[in-house]
Amino acid sequence: MLSIYINGAGCISPQETAAGGPMLANLREYEQVKLATVDPDYKQWIDVKQIRRMSRVVKMGVGAANLSLQAAGIAMPDAIVTGTAYGCLDDTGVFLTKMVNQQEEMLTPTAFIQSTHNTVGGQIALLLGCNAYNNTFVHRGFSFENALLDTIMMLREGSAQQILVGGLDELTPHSYQILSRFGLYKKEPVKTMELLNSPTCGTIAGEGAAFFTLGVQPGTNTAAELTGISTLYKPMWEGEVIGHIMKFLEDNNYTPNDIDLLVTGRNGDIGQDEIYEEVVEALFPEHPEASFKHLCGEYPTAVGFGMWLANGILADQAVPEAAMFYGQAPRRIKKILLYNHHQGTHHSLVLLSHVE
Amino acid sequence: MEQLMADLKKQIIEQLNLQEVTPESIGNDEPLFKEGLGLDSIDALELIVLLQQHYNIRIANPEQGPEIFYSIRSMAEFIVAQQTAKA
Repeated sequence: MLSIYINGAGCISPQETAAGGPMLANLREYEQVKLATVDPDYKQWIDVKQIRRMSRVVKMGVGAANLSLQAAGIAMPDAIVTGTAYGCLDDTGVFLTKMVNQQEEMLTPTAFIQSTHNTVGGQIALLLGCNAYNNTFVHRGFSFENALLDTIMMLREGSAQQILVGGLDELTPHSYQILSRFGLYKKEPVKTMELLNSPTCGTIAGEGAAFFTLGVQPGTNTAAELTGISTLYKPMWEGEVIGHIMKFLEDNNYTPNDIDLLVTGRNGDIGQDEIYEEVVEALFPEHPEASFKHLCGEYPTAVGFGMWLANGILADQAVPEAAMFYGQAPRRIKKILLYNHHQGTHHSLVLLSHVE
Repeated sequence: MEQLMADLKKQIIEQLNLQEVTPESIGNDEPLFKEGLGLDSIDALELIVLLQQHYNIRIANPEQGPEIFYSIRSMAEFIVAQQTAKA
């Protein structure tokens, strides 16, 4: 089967991931229940006349996309695919608030125009002058995964050689308030480096954007091959997840013993992390495990941060200390299985292999 | 008129979220669109709403737009003319 390579990756997150240099070298530790991105100077990519209409999530997306393209040495991708669950929430909030406050009178167009989910993909295309395929997937906890699937299918059918694909979501005061009502987040601030051992329900809210330039040929700096991806929606019980992982590995001609490092989406919610315990116990009892949501917070496309981390681990052949959850990473890391779930309903697997 | 033009500059900067632009840097007779401040058609809609919100003025004939929104001075003159007519 045609190999697909991660030729460039870019990430804007609550860590200093846009700054370059060694991964997570300057760890940002927080003691709060919501994490915001560490924003780079977006004016390095966006003209000051255009930036004024862009909300944070649009800037995040454009920034991460540019970082990814720069890393891949690509000026113009053959397609742009994005995944976002919440889209441009801030502009949606602005628009709706004005509708209510002004009783649907004298509404300005900017916030409405910028509030759609595909604004980010559109803005990246406008800035690049890219008239190629442009699609946005809005599938809750599978938004990024389905963007990846679309990208993989396009690359395999040969209709594109290099595709820019990314996942992103923002957190706004409105969304935090609404999501808090569902009991998603912890009631008290928690130290992020202690989150994964938290004995209580709820997690910390996060946000971010992660983009990747995927291609059918490796570049000079390529470290990882995207070997496989699979999703599982609303499993009935733990056994279904375990069976799905086994089948996924078999389909890729692997067994659990072939996996050098497990990267999980543990988020410190004692109820939601139980499934990771079950999976580890059943399939990966002695495997080293890294995690990432204590670094970026929980959001529907957080798996993008996980994939960015896994790609960086394969490039560095080392796991940042802050990301290590259990055991010790082997000296050579050839295969990483990324297992994440969002809200217990959206389970996904991403398999990455090291490119020598 | 001077005070009105000063107010308009502040309101435009706020409404259009113009970054790195100060009221002092906008000339009274400088074109607002294209070569001047570089505003575009979306900004024109924002300016129409600005006139409604701050001055309770509706533009009856859209074809007058380019003339009214040519510069800060032309906007101020239009506002004064409308307010005088109402009085």
